[in-house]
Amino acid sequence: MCTVGGPVDMDIPPDRVRGKDYRCNECGERFKGVGKHPMCPSCQSENVAAV
Amino acid sequence: MNLPLLDDVLFVRGNHSFLLVAKVRNPFALCIETFSEEYCQGVSEGELVVVSAPEAGPLKPALMLLELVRTYHLPLLVLPKDHPGSKRISYVLSAGPEIWTDCSIRRGTHPEQHLICSAGELSGIRLSASANGVDISPFPESLTVERINPLLT
Repeated sequence: MCTVGGPVDMDIPPDRVRGKDYRCNECGERFKGVGKHPMCPSCQSENVAAV
Repeated sequence: MNLPLLDDVLFVRGNHSFLLVAKVRNPFALCIETFSEEYCQGVSEGELVVVSAPEAGPLKPALMLLELVRTYHLPLLVLPKDHPGSKRISYVLSAGPEIWTDCSIRRGTHPEQHLICSAGELSGIRLSASANGVDISPFPESLTVERINPLLT
């Protein structure tokens, strides 16, 4: 079973998720994106740029 | 094994746990809230949303969780490592083009969307979105798969 409460766990380093900073060109929202298709969390636009 | 999958949900059952597998209908930004950061992952049409119930339990809340994220785009909340609430989490969810089940991670404490906590009997399975369905590999003989229409459940 899953190791809930148990001693075994994968040692995933704290910087395991590395988001890149983006700015939405539609609404100006700044956010940290992960994955291949960054998308604005406020207006759902894919018109975003890395900053 | 490639299983066709469009609007329905696959109910993948082991002996003591289960997975729900569905496809993303419309692209959306999946927000992943950790203790200190918010990460947003663009999820594309045809990618997977997977709910895992490592101790089985009722099906309906798992379907609700799936639709809360897939349809209503609720964010995912990630507990810090060793958080005592981890043991209260009955259902976990991941979304993306390819997701691996893993029994060696703590429930609800990892933001990575290519992993999902599962029971040992379902661990080590790769779920990968394909053009018209999902590839499940390996496909243990003990697994059974049913199709569910989420609108009728």
